[in-house]
Amino acid sequence: MNKFSIRLKILSIFLLLTSEAIFSQLKIEITEGIREPIRIAIVPFAQNASSIQKFKLHSIITKDLESFGEFEAIKPEDMLSYPSNQEEVFYRDWRLLKVNYLLIGSFQESEKDNEVTVSYNIFDISRGKRLYTGLISSPFNSWRKLAHRISDRFYQKINGIPGIFTTRIAYIEEPKLQEEKYNLKVSDIDGENNSLAFSSSQPLLSPDWSPDAKKLAYVSFENGFSQIFIQELASGKRQVLESSGGINSSPSWSPNGRYIAAVLSKSGNPDIYIYDLNKNSWKQVTDHFGIDTEPTWSSNGKKILFTSNRGGSPQIYELTISNGRIKRKTFEGSYNARGRYLPDGRHIALIHRRKGLFHVAIQNIRNGNLKILTDTFLDESPTISPNGNIIIYATKKNQRGILAGITVNNVTKFILPSIIGEVREPAWSPLVN
Amino acid sequence: MNGLAVFFALGIALCSVSGCSVGPILEKTSNESQVSSVSASSYKESAIKSSSTVYFAYDKYNLGEGSLREARRIADQMKKNTSLRIRIEGHCDERGTREYNLALGEKRANAISEILTLNGISSRRVNVVSYGEERPVSLGSNETSWSKNRRAVLKIY
Repeated sequence: MNKFSIRLKILSIFLLLTSEAIFSQLKIEITEGIREPIRIAIVPFAQNASSIQKFKLHSIITKDLESFGEFEAIKPEDMLSYPSNQEEVFYRDWRLLKVNYLLIGSFQESEKDNEVTVSYNIFDISRGKRLYTGLISSPFNSWRKLAHRISDRFYQKINGIPGIFTTRIAYIEEPKLQEEKYNLKVSDIDGENNSLAFSSSQPLLSPDWSPDAKKLAYVSFENGFSQIFIQELASGKRQVLESSGGINSSPSWSPNGRYIAAVLSKSGNPDIYIYDLNKNSWKQVTDHFGIDTEPTWSSNGKKILFTSNRGGSPQIYELTISNGRIKRKTFEGSYNARGRYLPDGRHIALIHRRKGLFHVAIQNIRNGNLKILTDTFLDESPTISPNGNIIIYATKKNQRGILAGITVNNVTKFILPSIIGEVREPAWSPLVN
Repeated sequence: MNGLAVFFALGIALCSVSGCSVGPILEKTSNESQVSSVSASSYKESAIKSSSTVYFAYDKYNLGEGSLREARRIADQMKKNTSLRIRIEGHCDERGTREYNLALGEKRANAISEILTLNGISSRRVNVVSYGEERPVSLGSNETSWSKNRRAVLKIY
């Protein structure tokens, strides 16, 4: 047995241990991937210290990049060489393995500064050139995040749009349907760092992230009626948005963080209002005897998309805040609701009913073309990744609420099963540095 | 010009000739984001004297004959006993979006509330709350369950 194969044996044992030891509540399982994924190679990083961390870094980056079916990483034991710096890279080795892109690196621990530092390189094998050289450091205990940052950088260099591996998902969990308990949870996108932010014996709804990803707004029935709360995640500090009577629901943070659009029915029926967090006051922006709900902001903060049944059935409308003009945006079918702008500003994701079934769909808001993305049928709460590539939504499987996802190009489908109870109302965090 | 500036100027000049790249800039990763857990104190509902339920058609909030009769009966009861108050809870089936259903549930509860007001009951004695699709009584994804969940619960206390 040569030295290499011993090294690989140790490596595969480590990978096995780490993947089994990690307890995660939401884990991405790809259910459908049509196109050939891009073949990549991630060489286990060379290091000058304890090897456990090295193996973890490698497995986190691999798992990230493979998680949405876009990339397929070759196994370390299939590699012909294990370069850790540019001089050791021979393109022909990787061409033989039909690898398109290569990631290599090495890391150093500094006990003194309580830090790990990774230097890494990304190569385009077919063009025979280096795409990026990075140097990144993090505190010892935050090195999952460091790995996610390298994944983000790799993703961005290959796809030209930001990666989303440092983002998080907030969602509502009902652990046991027989007993009334509702949890608001936050998890890394890979299911790790799953933490409880708030729990109550009364329903919780509609989590929405602040643009800096430090706070969540949500609806809680803890006092016997619906109220909108803001909670700072790090401290747990909460603030209620004061309002009198009726529904208080559907909070949506403005892109600049100063306002929250929401639904109040204090006038007798549900209308859209905007709360000014600096002035602590509400301003009404829609007024109709029908239902107006589910507001969400355009990325420039000038428009609000909302659902209304003012035309006889739920449809999506767009409000221009400055002049109060309202324009209907959906015309196909008799149920279109909970629209969300995609980052390109040209499309919206929404819930569309066809033949009595509720699907996630995407619509071009300029020409009105609508495309149904899902084949599940009780879909709710679509939330879009900050790079606009992926939609996660809530649906039902075997009478249980689960989270599922789809790439916007309709190529990969996946589910995020929870180990316990029901999960619903996913909210994707913004991308922050 | 001090020594350091000369060094950099020289470096830039050399790079522009030979096309060499500048070394990577160190990117700092902050600590993992922490989350503190908070929980609500448990909510206690006032003791209910009597309760009844009326049902609705899908995506509708108008009252049928039977529901109207029930609303009028409750109005009479509340007129006779002026210490009684009512909490009307509106509910929906699971189909459609949650926030829309929250609004729909309120429309259902308000439909009952309006009949009470029309029959002379002060709105101060009427408390309306919508739970949307959050509190189903039947968990199946079929019409039998759905029809049980599209309801308004009239709780007299």
